[in-house]
Amino acid sequence: MIGIEQRFVCDGVNFRSIKDTKFKTIRMSVNFMLPIQKNTAAANAILPFLLSRASSEYPDFTKLGERLAELYGAEINADVQKLGDVQMLSLSASGIADRYALNGESISTELSKLLCSIIFDPPFEDGLFPQDGFEQEKRQTIELIDSEFNDKRVYAKQRCEEIMCANEPYGIGRYGTKENIKNLKREEITQAWQYLIHNAKIEILVLGDCDPAPVFDDFFNAFQLLKKSTTVPCPTQNIKRAEKANEFTEKMDVAQSKLVIGFRTSSAIPDAEMSAVKLMTAIFGGTPNSKLFLNVREKLSLCYYCSAQYISMKGIMLVQSGVETKNVDRAKEEILIQLDEIKKGNFDDDEINAAKLNMCNSYRSVSDSLGGLESWYLSQTFTNQIKRPEEAAAIIMAVTRQEIIDAANNVTLDTVYRLIGSGEESK
Amino acid sequence: MNIVKEIKSDRIGDKYYEVDHSTGLKIFIYPKENNSSTYAVFGTRYGSIDTSFKTSDELEPNTVPAGIAHYLEHKLFESEDGDAFVRYAKTGASANAYTSFDSTCYLFSCTENVYESLEILLDFVQSPYFTEQTVQKEQGIIGQEIRMYDDDPQWRVLFNLLGAMYHNHPVKIDIAGSVESIAKITPELLYKCYNTFYNLNNMVLCVAGNVDYNKVLDLCDKILKPSKPLHLDKIFDEEPLEIVKSRVEQKLSVAAPIFQLGFKEPACKTRLTVQEIAETEILLEILASDASPLFRRLLDAGLINESSFSYEYFEGAGYASVIFAGESKDPDVVADEIKKEITKIRENGLDQAAFERSKKAVYGRVISSFNSVDYLANAMAADAFADRELFRYIDSVASADISSVQNRLNTQMKPEYSALSIVNPVD
Repeated sequence: MIGIEQRFVCDGVNFRSIKDTKFKTIRMSVNFMLPIQKNTAAANAILPFLLSRASSEYPDFTKLGERLAELYGAEINADVQKLGDVQMLSLSASGIADRYALNGESISTELSKLLCSIIFDPPFEDGLFPQDGFEQEKRQTIELIDSEFNDKRVYAKQRCEEIMCANEPYGIGRYGTKENIKNLKREEITQAWQYLIHNAKIEILVLGDCDPAPVFDDFFNAFQLLKKSTTVPCPTQNIKRAEKANEFTEKMDVAQSKLVIGFRTSSAIPDAEMSAVKLMTAIFGGTPNSKLFLNVREKLSLCYYCSAQYISMKGIMLVQSGVETKNVDRAKEEILIQLDEIKKGNFDDDEINAAKLNMCNSYRSVSDSLGGLESWYLSQTFTNQIKRPEEAAAIIMAVTRQEIIDAANNVTLDTVYRLIGSGEESK
Repeated sequence: MNIVKEIKSDRIGDKYYEVDHSTGLKIFIYPKENNSSTYAVFGTRYGSIDTSFKTSDELEPNTVPAGIAHYLEHKLFESEDGDAFVRYAKTGASANAYTSFDSTCYLFSCTENVYESLEILLDFVQSPYFTEQTVQKEQGIIGQEIRMYDDDPQWRVLFNLLGAMYHNHPVKIDIAGSVESIAKITPELLYKCYNTFYNLNNMVLCVAGNVDYNKVLDLCDKILKPSKPLHLDKIFDEEPLEIVKSRVEQKLSVAAPIFQLGFKEPACKTRLTVQEIAETEILLEILASDASPLFRRLLDAGLINESSFSYEYFEGAGYASVIFAGESKDPDVVADEIKKEITKIRENGLDQAAFERSKKAVYGRVISSFNSVDYLANAMAADAFADRELFRYIDSVASADISSVQNRLNTQMKPEYSALSIVNPVD
C-alpha cells in the first residue's frame, strides 16, 4: 500500500498527497469547510461554481473550456456537500498523467496553476464578480436545487433529514434555499469569498500519478501571500436520543410511495463506538444479506429497495424504501421489527461475518480509485486520528457481538417521513 | 484446447488476454497487478430487445413477453441449493447484475477470495432453478422496480423518445417490461430463454484486476460445462428510416421541463466500427462540449445548465441515434438552436482548431477510463458483444482526420429524422 504524505501549509490548511503510478490520471482538490448557517449557506454555495468558470488569466468561460480541452480533456469541477453541520465547498481539477501527454506537456503543473488562479485570482471587475457570470450561476444553482426534486428517492431522503434536523444546522440545505439564492447581491459574494479563503478550514488533496511537490509550492505561496491566520471552528451537534417519534406525510402525484425513517444512533465522529454502529447498520440494511433485504424485499416482496445508511458525521441512521401506498405501514412495521431483532440479539455469526467481510471489501477497494481515496480522507477530517482503509478494516473485524447489540439498543426512532403517491402513473 | 491471444497497447501501456475456451466461451483477462480489487463479469449476448428468436432446431419463431431477460436475471440468483448472495457473503465479494438492451451481465468485485468468488459466479449462472413459487414471488419486487422507473423522469423521457423514433424495433420497450407483460412469465418460458441464450458460445467472461491468468483458466476448465454449437436467429421486424412522430410530451412531478432530442439514423444488425464511433464522439465534442459556441449560446440565453446538458451516441443492433439531453425552460428553442448549429457545420465545415482540441479531449477521456477495473471488465464484455476490440478505440481517436469526421454528417443528425421528447411539470 502506498502511503499518504502530509505537509503543513499554514494555520487551518492541510496538504495531503498520495503518489501512485498505477493510476493513469491525477486529481487535486481544494476543500473549504465552514459551519453551515441559514444566512450564509447560499452565498457560500454559489462560490465554487462562480470561481470554477473563469480566472483573471482566462476571464472567458469558453476560453477556459478550450484550454481544458487542449489539456486532453482536463476538468475543473465545483461541488457543495454537507459533512455533518459543516458546509464543504470544493474545487477540483483532474486530468491525465504527464506520461500520456502527446507533446510532452506537464498536465499536473498546468492544472495546479489553473486551480490556484481560479481560487485566488478571480476576474474581478471593480472588486466584484462579473455580472453575467454571477447571474448565470445564480440561475444554475436554483436549477440544481430544482433537479433534486426530480429524483424522488433523493428528494424523500432530503426531506426526512430536513424535518428531523429542523432545529440543527444539519437541517439547512447544502445550497441554502432558492429564495436565498435569488436574493444574493454581488457585493456579498466578494465578501463571502474573502471570508472563505481567510477563515475556512481547508483540506488540499493531490492524488494519482504526479509529483505533489510543485503543487504544494503553488498553494504554499498562495497562502503566504494571503496571510491566512484564523480558522473558524466547525462543530457538529450530536443529539444522542430522540425525545419522541415524529410522523410526517406529504402527498404527491407519483406512482410509487417512498418511506424514509430517521433514527438517532447516539454515536458520531469521533466516538469510538462508531465502528459498532457502522457494522450494526450493515447487518440491519447494508447488504443483500441484511435483515431488511432478506425480509422486507425477499420474504414479503414489498419493495425493490430497502436499505439502511449510517451518516457517521451526524450520528443518524436512515432507512429508505419505495413501496405501494397500501403497503407503506406494513413496510414500516417490518423495518422496526427487524431493528428489534438486532436489539434482542437475534442474529447469528454468519450475519456478522457477512457484514464484516462486505465492509472490509469496500474499504480495501478505496485505494483503487482517486475519487474513492479523496472521499475516504475527506470524511475523516473531523476524526481524532486519520486511518488508512486497512486500519479501519481491522477495527471493524474486531467489533464484538455484544457491541453490535449495544449499538442497536442505543438507536431511537426520530422521524417517519412518507411521500404518498396517487398510485397511478400520470399520463 | 484453449486458444490464447495476447493483446497489447503501446499507447495505453497495458495488455490483456483473449481466450477461446474449449467449451465455446470467450474469456478476457486484463491483469492489473497493483490493484487491490478484481472485477469479473459473466455475461450473455441477450437483452431486452431479444423477444423474438428461432434456433435451427425449431420450425417456428418464439415470441416471449417483454421484460423476460431482466426477470431471468433476477431469478438466476436462486439455485436449487440456495441463493448466490448467501454464498458470496462468505467471500466478501460485492455482487450484482444488470440487463441492458442487448446483454445480461452478472458481476462481482472483491479484494480477497477472488477464485472462490469466481467459482460462485461461474456456478450459479450455469445452474438455473425456476419454480412456480419462486417466479411468483418476484412479481412484487420487479413490480416495484417498474413503478420506481415510472416516476423517474430521466427514464421516461428516454423511452418516450425511443417510442417517437422507432416504429418496430424493440429498443422502444422498457427493459423491465410492464406489470402486465411480466405477469405472463412462467418457469417454462424462463427455461426456454435460458436454454437458448445462456449457451457458452453466446457468452463471455471478463476479469480485470489483481488476478493470476492461469488460475482463472484452471477454474474455467474445472467448472464450465461445454455447450452445444448454437445457431440462433434473432428476429426483428423491418424498421423504416422515418420516425414515428417528431414530438412527444408527458407530465410528471418535476420542477422544470426536461428533454431529449434524438436524431435517428440508418442502422443494421451489424454494429458500427470503432472508427465510426470515435469520429462521432469527436464530432459531438466539437458541436456541443462545454467549450463549443453552441453550448455557450444556450448557456448565456439561460436555456440549459452545465449539470444536466449532455449528449451521447446511442447505438446497438438495429438502432443508432445521436441524443442530446438536459433540463430547459424551453426545450423547443434548444432543439432549434442545436439543429441550426448542425446545419451551419454541415454547410461551413468544421473548424480546424476546434477539431484538434476536441480530438485531444476525447483522447484524454479514453485514457482516464483505463484506471477502473469496473470499466475495463464491462467494456471488454460490451466490445465482445459488438465484435469490437478494446484498444482499437483509442487508436481510432488518435488517427481520426477532419474530413472523415465531417463526413459523418452525411448520415448523422439529419433534422428530418429528429424527434423531441419533453417531460413537463404537472400543472
